[in-house]
Order: sequence, then C-alpha cells, then structure tokens
Amino acid sequence: MINHDVVVIGGGLAGMRAAVEAAERGADVAIVSKMHPVRSHSGAAQGGINAALGNREEDTPQNHAFDTAKGSDYLGDQDAIEAMCEDAPRQIIWLEHRGCIFSRLPDGRIAQRPFGGAGAPRTCYSADVTGLVILHTLWEQLERFNVKVYEEYFCTALCVEDGVGTGVVAYNMRNGELELINAKATIFATGGAGRMYAKTTNGYASTADGQAIAFRAGIPMMDMEFVQFHPTSLKENGVLLSEAARGEGAYLLNSAGERFMFKYAPNKGELASRDVVSRAEWTEILEGRGIDGCVLLDLRHLGREKILERLPQIRELALDATGKDAIDSPIPILPGMHYTMGGIETDIWGATRVPGVYAAGEVASPSVHGANRLGGNSLLETIVFGARSAKHACDYIKNVGSVKPSERTLKQEQDRIANWMGKSSGTRAPQLRAAMNKVMSDNVFIFRNEEQLQSAVDQLLEIRKQFDENVYVMDKSKTFNTDLVNTMETDYLIDSAMCVANGALARKESRGAQARTDYPERDDEKWMIHTLAWREQGKNPRLDYSRKVTITKWQPTVRTY
Amino acid sequence: MANIKLDIFRFDEAVDSVPHRDIVAVDVPETMTVLDALETAKAEVDGSISFRRSCRSAICGSCSMNINGVTGLACKTPCNTVMDEQGVIQVDPMPNFQPMRDLVVHMDPFWDKYTRLKPYLQPADKDEDHQTERRVSPEDMKKLVDVANCVMCATCYALCPVVSVDPSFAGPAAIAYAYRFIEDVRDSKREERLAQINEDYLWLCAHCYACSYCPKHVDPNDRIVDVKRATIKDRVMMNERGPRHALIVNKTVKQTGMLAETEVIQGTVGRFNFRGLLKVAPLGLRMAAKGKLPPPFVKPIPKVDEVRTIFDSLEVPVS
Ligand SMILES: Cc1cc2nc3c(=O)[nH]c(=O)nc-3n(C[C@H](O)[C@H](O)[C@H](O)COP(=O)(O)OP(=O)(O)OC[C@H]3O[C@@H](n4cnc5c(N)ncnc54)[C@H](O)[C@@H]3O)c2cc1C
Ligand code: SF4
Ligand code: SF4
Ligand code: FES
Repeated sequence: MINHDVVVIGGGLAGMRAAVEAAERGADVAIVSKMHPVRSHSGAAQGGINAALGNREEDTPQNHAFDTAKGSDYLGDQDAIEAMCEDAPRQIIWLEHRGCIFSRLPDGRIAQRPFGGAGAPRTCYSADVTGLVILHTLWEQLERFNVKVYEEYFCTALCVEDGVGTGVVAYNMRNGELELINAKATIFATGGAGRMYAKTTNGYASTADGQAIAFRAGIPMMDMEFVQFHPTSLKENGVLLSEAARGEGAYLLNSAGERFMFKYAPNKGELASRDVVSRAEWTEILEGRGIDGCVLLDLRHLGREKILERLPQIRELALDATGKDAIDSPIPILPGMHYTMGGIETDIWGATRVPGVYAAGEVASPSVHGANRLGGNSLLETIVFGARSAKHACDYIKNVGSVKPSERTLKQEQDRIANWMGKSSGTRAPQLRAAMNKVMSDNVFIFRNEEQLQSAVDQLLEIRKQFDENVYVMDKSKTFNTDLVNTMETDYLIDSAMCVANGALARKESRGAQARTDYPERDDEKWMIHTLAWREQGKNPRLDYSRKVTITKWQPTVRTY
Repeated sequence: MANIKLDIFRFDEAVDSVPHRDIVAVDVPETMTVLDALETAKAEVDGSISFRRSCRSAICGSCSMNINGVTGLACKTPCNTVMDEQGVIQVDPMPNFQPMRDLVVHMDPFWDKYTRLKPYLQPADKDEDHQTERRVSPEDMKKLVDVANCVMCATCYALCPVVSVDPSFAGPAAIAYAYRFIEDVRDSKREERLAQINEDYLWLCAHCYACSYCPKHVDPNDRIVDVKRATIKDRVMMNERGPRHALIVNKTVKQTGMLAETEVIQGTVGRFNFRGLLKVAPLGLRMAAKGKLPPPFVKPIPKVDEVRTIFDSLEVPVS
C-alpha cells in the first residue's frame, strides 16, 4: 500500500505542472503514469501556446478571452476563460524562468506567431517542437524536486469512500501487481481520447482512461459531443501537420488549385477557426473538388529557408509518411480527430463534484473551449489548470486527517482483471476497438444527423455488451502485459465514445464542432447549456442539462471569420 | 501489399532463462512502418508480443529497437526500407540494456545518467528579480533548440560502443543534454556542469560517430566535441588525461605534421608521473620486442608549414 498527500494521474504537461506546483508548496506529491513522463503525448504538440504577452502587437488578456469565448461558439464558461487568459502571461514567464526554450524576437523577448481565430499574434512557440520543450522543462523540475514517479503504472480505478476521493488503484506493468495508492487528493491529467476514432492525430496512448475512470466513480462527463477535427492531418496515418504551417502562411488548395477558404471565411481565410476550416475542406471533398479524398496544404511559397527554420518537423513528418517534400510539393491532407473539448466536469479550480478529486488538461472540462478550441489554447489549459488544481488541492488537504484505504475497490479491480485473464477464448479487445472506430468515423464525424447518430448509439451499446460479456486477454504474462493494458484502454474508450454519440444525438443544434445537417442553426434559446453525462451500468449514459453556460461579458452573437 | 514476416526476439524475465524467436507474418502495405506492422501483428495474430510505443510520429522516443541489427525508431522505419526479398524483418530489443519483455528493456540506467547532470536550469538570480522573460538572443536560443529536439529515445546510447564496455560512461544523449545547460546563457553553473560531465567520463568518447545515426538530427557526437572544447576553453579539470591527450596530439601534429607517439604518451600520462609511466612501460617493452616502438623524437615533415596553415585556419583558439 502506497500513501501520499497528493497523487497526480498522468505525466503530461497538465500532470507535471500540477505535481511541480504541489512540490513547490511543500506537499508530498507523486505522479502515477502509464509511461515515462517525457513519452506523454503533449510532446507531440508542435504549434505553440497562447498568452497575451503583446510582444509583437498590442494585446491584452481580455482580447484573448474574447477570442476564446467567440471561438468556443459561446459555449465556454466565461469565468473559466477569463481566469485562464489572465493567468497565461504569468505561466509563460514561469516556464521561461525555469529554462523553457522559446523562440525569440531579435530583441530577446519571446517570439509569437499568428494562429487561427486569434486577433493578434499571441502564440508563443519553439520552432515546431513547442510541446516537447515544455515537457522537458517540466520533467526537469520533477528532477529538481525529486518528485516520486510511479512510472509504467496504469491507473485502473478511482477510490471514493463516503463520498470523498481517497486515491486510486494502479496496475504495475513491470510485475503485474495491482496496488492501492491512497491519497488525500487525486488529480486526473490523463490526456485525450483520440483513439475512439480510426483516423486521429493522437498517439496510441490517448485512450480516455481518466474520463472513463472518473465516470465510473460517479463523476459526470461534460460536453463530450464536441470533438475537434483538425483540418490538416495526413491521410496515410493521421499524423498532424500543425496549424503553425497556416500561421506561417501556408495555403489550402482544392483540385482546381483554388484557395477555397475565402469562400467560407472571407476575412480570415486559412486562419479561420478549426471547425470552420475542417467543414470547408470536407464540403470541398464531398462536392467533388478533392484529390483522392484530400485537399492540399501548400507551403512552397514560404521558401526553403523559412520551412527549415520554423517548420522542420512538419516537413520531415510529411516526408516520412508521404514521400513528398513540402519544400517543392503540396501535401495531401484531410480533417482528422484531434481533440476532446469535453471531459471530466470541473469548476474553475479543476475541482470535480467529489471532494478531493480534480482534473486538469485535455481529460478535463472546466469549459474553456466550449464547442470549439482555438489552436494554442490547449497547451495553455494544461499549464494553467494543472497549477490551479494543485493549488486548490494543497489547500484542501490541510483539512483532511487521514483517508480510508479502499480495499473494496482494489478487490473489484483484481476481479475485473482476473476475469479477463482467466478466459482463454472469446473476443479480443482489438476487434472491438476496430468496430468502435468504424462506428465513430462513419457516423459521428464532421457532419452529423439523427439517423446516423441513432445508429451509432445503438451499435456502441451492442459493442459495450459484447465487451462486458466476451472479452478476454490473450497474453497471460505478468511482465509488461500490453495486451491487458490495451484491453483496459478499449474498455474506457467505449464508455467515452458512448458519451460522445449520446450527447451529439441529443443536442439538436449546430454549434462549434457539432454540425448537424438536420439542425443547421445554433439555438441560443434552448442550448446555452452544457451536456452532463452520468454513467448507468450497462446502459446508455443518463443526460442532464442542469448546468448553464456562465456569461460574464460577451453575449452570443453571430460568429464569422 | 506485402507479406511481412517479423522475426521477433521473445523473452519474459519473470519466467524465461533464455530468449527464443517467433516469426509472425502479416499482410500490410509495404510502406507501413515497422511499428505499425508490429501493432498489426499484435492485434491480429499474437496479443502477447510486447513493445513500447506512444506517439507513432518520432516524437516520444518510446519505440527504439534493433531492426535488422541496427537501432532506430520503429515508427520512423518503413518496412520496405528494411525487409529482405522474402519480406523478413528482424526485430530485437536495444543493445546496451537489460531486456525485460520481448522488445521492452529496463531503461533505468539511461535515466540515471540524466539525473546525475542535475538537469534543470540553475540561474544566478531569482525569479522575483524579473517581471518578464529573461532576454536571450535568437542565436543563443537557436543553439539550444537543435539539442532540444532530442526525444530521449536512447538510440544513440544503444549504438555507443563505449557504453557497451563501460556503463559508467555518461553516453551521448546525456552529454548532449549537458551541453543544453552549459550553453544556456541563463544558467550559472557552467563550471560545475563541465566538471560533472568530465567526471562522468566525457573523454572516454572515442568519436566513432555511431551516435550520429540519431533519428532527430541532434548529432550528439558534435555536441560532445563542443563540450570537450568548452572544457579546455574553460580549463576545467585540465589535469585529467582526456584534455591533456587532446592538447598534446594537437601540439605534436601541428609541430611535426605527424603524431609523435612517445611525446603523446608522456604528455597524456604526465612527464613526471613516474608511477603512471611505469604502468605503460610493459606495453612499451612489448612493442619494442616486436620492433614497433615509436621513435623518441619526431622530425618535422618537409612541408610542415602547410600543415600549420591548415591548423591556423581551422583552429578555435583553445589555450
Ligand atoms: C499532434 C498534436 C499537436 C498538438 N498541438 C498543439 C499545439 O500546438 N498547441 C496546443 O495548445 N495544443 C496542441 N495539441 C493539444 C495538446 O497537445 C494536448 O491537448 C495536451 O498536450 C494534453 O496534455 P495533457 O497533459 O492533458 O495529456 P498528455 O500529454 O496526453 O498526458 C497524459 C498522461 O497521462 C498518462 N496516462 C494516461 N492514462 C493513464 C492511466 N490510465 N494511468 C496512468 N497514467 C495515464 C500518460 O502516461 C501521460 O503521461 C496538440 C495535440 C496533438 C495530438
Ligand atoms: S540524441 Fe538522438 S538518438 Fe540520442 S536520445 Fe536524443 S534523439 Fe535519441
Ligand atoms: S561518438 Fe562517442 S558517444 Fe557517440 S557512439 Fe561513438 S563513442 Fe559513443
Ligand atoms: S512511437 Fe513515439 S517515437 Fe516511435
């Protein structure tokens, strides 16, 4: 049995930022992560992180907050948005002081680039490896504070005793043992859920674990139907070519060689917000102006030097996957699943409804992104809410005496695993995962309608049943059993996918990333409310609309770019 | 489509005393990466094959393994660049590491090398002294960005012959990371850092350039040269053999156009270090017996001026 004051589940940007904050405040904190922290998917973030530093043009946190609220199609909670945008410059300086390698302006200040949906160049970056440099900076701080990391421990369940969070159960991948980790406060920072779709910019490890774990412990998921499809992912493998490409001036072209974006966003063109660009691309493709189901991202006019200096990784990723060199050839791209705006419902401090349980980063939904996230705001969210949740948790634990070890949760998890491991035949998780991927990609994609969504809901429920009844794990080893881990991940993904499909079916309007062809308009009368999904064992989630959108300053208006 | 036969190293440290191999065949596009082929094999044929992976886009550093005997990232290696005529690809765990399960190895010794560096910024002034960012010129940052591309995949560490004979050697990745702090104008511990990396056997690097195979173009070998230069420039631990050896080789070649081996030995070990010289004496005697003893003095070659001109034009002033 392991004991800590604060345990953080996940070693990505949100998790490490939380752990460092707790360590700086003197708490006994540990990280539980299914991978070494530097392997986290945050490292794949290329483009940058937003903060109104105003280093290139006059800019203010209030402008940033307005752009974010507008970008969210007014579904974002404006108190959370303002808190994030006000914190942003401080957090960037905090990172810089700890050595983060940001690209610089000639005068030595942090450089900023324009990003979609933003009124000023406010995206701080490091060439096109921004996520990686921040990830390294935070990992360095873990080393500095000697934070204990339970590396390659897979968290399987959240413990709640007497209505209070008391820690987690985790599976030690190196020896196959389940362990009870008691904590006065638990912070989930497990990242995204991209793997519910077939084509995604997310890596293999973005599997919705934290969402489903919290969901199963009775915490609601919020606004899960809002899934961001990134306009520029590679057809071959879904790998992302960052928005930085368009930020630096790349064009989007259709089969006629036309820069079609200006038809859809007369002012911003390629730099409109992501939902707008993805729908435009998909419309071009559906209307027959695509090339092999893709449109083209053209960087050629930027010139070799600029590409090599500012976008070297993008060039290499495209080269590896397509054999095409962006310096002299346009790259075929299409929209791909990129980001979950929804997640574990939290307040503006990252706190959930269960005392002692927090969530930060992509897994969470404090509702700063609402119905659509702006590029560069998600890295910011990880840092801001990682720090905020740890701050709140450190205050909270002062009044907690000791926690009751949840032996029953440990027992429940042992039984769950023993059941899968005990069977030698049935259905394997990869087959069910493939079925789920197909359902999501075919029916819960960029354009949605009642019929397809209903069919997705029905099929997912069937997949859920099959999983619960038939799944088994082929690998029986206790050493680094990734078959078991994949099975666990598939289990969680199905829960999250069900929340997405059910939420999308019930929301009869189009807003941000949710485009319903049968309800093409935004409906502010009825739908300025969040979707909350509660778990019902073996059934579709129960939806609840009791949480209204918080408006502080900006009333919804028509959103154009 | 191609029928790829993955010839996989199989091992479970909990139960196996020796490894075995399995050949698993999958039908996949031949441009598919080795990683995705393994993933397909695991999903469709044998769920018990174990390996690490996360990003599948060469940025997380998880999937380093030996592919046909050469270490590299499986997610950056298309099958058609490595398979033989029969479509066979051999995959093994990285060398220089203890295997744990199949392609998964114990990484701890690699991480320990970083921990020894105190790998975090140690500025001279306090945060509170700055309301805004510390100013750093784009050029000074650029130097660091190239190293910051390192994804800690350990490919270079696995390829390094010095690590394989002396695991106490810091290894290429950690030295490159040390460079990242040594060259950071915001850091105040340059001297301590140089001393630490010298203690971690910086000078054992044989400049074999195996680590230049780095998939992220970090070129740790070049960073090692930079760190050695910095060591000499800052005159850190100049009494160690490493820097003395470098300087004496430099000196004799410049003076004579040739390697004056006797002088190099004396210069490296120390002219008045009688005990050290006695230690190399048996080697000298054996060489003498075979008629291979280098001459005590070397006369400059005829056109030594030309050699000196090359030196003058290349030389970074060091001492
Ligand atoms: C290709 C790509 C590019 C992007 N570019 C940008 C960008 O330029 N700007 C921007 O703002 N945003 C960008 N984003 C989005 C942003 O990178 C992510 O939303 C953000 O990094 C998520 O960080 P995180 O800390 O929440 O999660 P992650 O970095 O995904 O970390 C999750 C952590 O949780 C751990 N974990 C997960 N499940 C478990 C479990 N069951 N048990 C134990 N540990 C677990 C993992 O090991 C990992 O350490 C990009 C996303 C992608 C995919
Ligand atoms: S220097 Fe290159 S090979 Fe070595 S760990 Fe870093 S990225 Fe990998
Ligand atoms: S150049 Fe040095 S560090 Fe690199 S592989 Fe060779 S001996 Fe090792
Ligand atoms: S899977 Fe991330 S580097 Fe290969």
